[in-house]
Amino acid sequence: MVAAVIVWGVLSLTLPPEIFPGPIETARTLWGEIVGGNVWTDLAMTMLRVVAGLLLALILGVPVGVLMGLNRRAEAVLDVWVMIGLTVPSLCYAIMAFIWFGLNEGAAIIAIAVTAAPSITINIWEGVKNVDTKLVAMARVFEATRPAIVRRVLMPQIFPYVMASARFGLGIIWKITVLVELIGRPNGVGFKLFYWYQLADMRQVLAWTLLFTIIMLLIELLILKPIERRVFAWRPQVAV
Amino acid sequence: MNSVIEVASLRKTFKGRDGTSRTVLKDLDLTVGAGEFLCILGPSGCGKSTLLNVLAGLDKVYEGRASVSGGRVGYLFQEPRLLPWLTAEANLDFALASCRVPTSRWSELKSRYLAMTGLSDHRDFYPHQISGGMAQRLALVRALCVEPGILLMDEPFSGLDEITARRIRSDLLAIWRETRKTIVFVTHNAYEACFLADRILVMSGGAFRHEMRVPIARPRSYDDPAIFQFSRDVIKAFGDEIGREQVPSVLAESESSLVDDLDRHAAARMNI
Repeated sequence: MVAAVIVWGVLSLTLPPEIFPGPIETARTLWGEIVGGNVWTDLAMTMLRVVAGLLLALILGVPVGVLMGLNRRAEAVLDVWVMIGLTVPSLCYAIMAFIWFGLNEGAAIIAIAVTAAPSITINIWEGVKNVDTKLVAMARVFEATRPAIVRRVLMPQIFPYVMASARFGLGIIWKITVLVELIGRPNGVGFKLFYWYQLADMRQVLAWTLLFTIIMLLIELLILKPIERRVFAWRPQVAV
Repeated sequence: MNSVIEVASLRKTFKGRDGTSRTVLKDLDLTVGAGEFLCILGPSGCGKSTLLNVLAGLDKVYEGRASVSGGRVGYLFQEPRLLPWLTAEANLDFALASCRVPTSRWSELKSRYLAMTGLSDHRDFYPHQISGGMAQRLALVRALCVEPGILLMDEPFSGLDEITARRIRSDLLAIWRETRKTIVFVTHNAYEACFLADRILVMSGGAFRHEMRVPIARPRSYDDPAIFQFSRDVIKAFGDEIGREQVPSVLAESESSLVDDLDRHAAARMNI
């Protein structure tokens, strides 16, 4: 992390500060924005879209992935659709959503979710295919009921993949959210970035990028990592 | 002796993708008496595991009749098949809960069988923290603590090192003596079969070829030359069917006193 800041500082010396400001100047600009109270509404709106988009993407992506993992027919039929979904650029989803559903919050969240859902589906699909059927046979020998098998044998095996795809999906969703805000929302980090880009104020552009990155890292370190550590405490440590 | 397992004209056919079918069980007839220790001896691919799956109710598509009475069925797989995210004790709880054993009895059952297998101090360990032998013991405890009337065992010790396997085999016989469960034990190891069983059925190509009683008094000792002698006879008589190789003449001539016990065992094993 320190190295990244140093590299940034060194690179910024190659261009004039109004085009490529260094870390100190960017931090100062960001601080000014935070103190001035210009940050919170936009940040909150972006966060809302990210969280809602992620939830909706999981709601769409997980069941389809599970179905594809369990059922050969479904796998054959849906395979192509998932690939199509994955291939269509996120900008197209955003445009379609805004044109069809109007320039509103719902359309934004739908566009975000639809973009992220296919990669979540693929992750879950792989996960379900990797389920250890020997453990399922074991549970059946012990007369476990179907719901019990799903809850106590299948879910713990699929959960790591859900976690992985949530993290992976989050990475995609950050990016698409900014794009969606840029083309169709009157606030949010993406809107601000575009606003300052049009005013050619690179200090502000980088300040907002920095803010965004810091928030993302905080979520990763303070929320996702601890959850993962707690849930996977049983796993052996791998020493290489 | 009343029988607890009755199989008549059991046939099982697998259909291949190309439309060809392969019959892995060919009209099997089998009766197992209550409290009997039966070993089914045969090479891999002879249909032993398929038969166990039918008896365990895992495989319900077959022709003929297969009825199992005399209580719940316990199953010990070739691998421990423990749930890796649960501790040893929680794995037992999973089995007890699945079989709907009243919770009031759990602690007594767990303590009893954990003590019998020497695992009392390992309740809180995760499966990856204990050795392969211990994991298989724990799987044995799990199979026993739901109090099955019948225990089906599918080459449960073949993945273990020989010393560990010997110890668990002896434990198993002690437990069997105490609890008198009906056991159907599948193996490709003639020595193991002769040490454990009352009766051995030699299986190959999906059918039982021979049946014999093991004429060795219990309690048996693993080093008993009589077991070695008998296993050698079994291999000599049925070696062609249960394995490709014949008994090498060197082994046939060497007397038990000359050969180290483990080597003997390994030699007996090799021929199957």
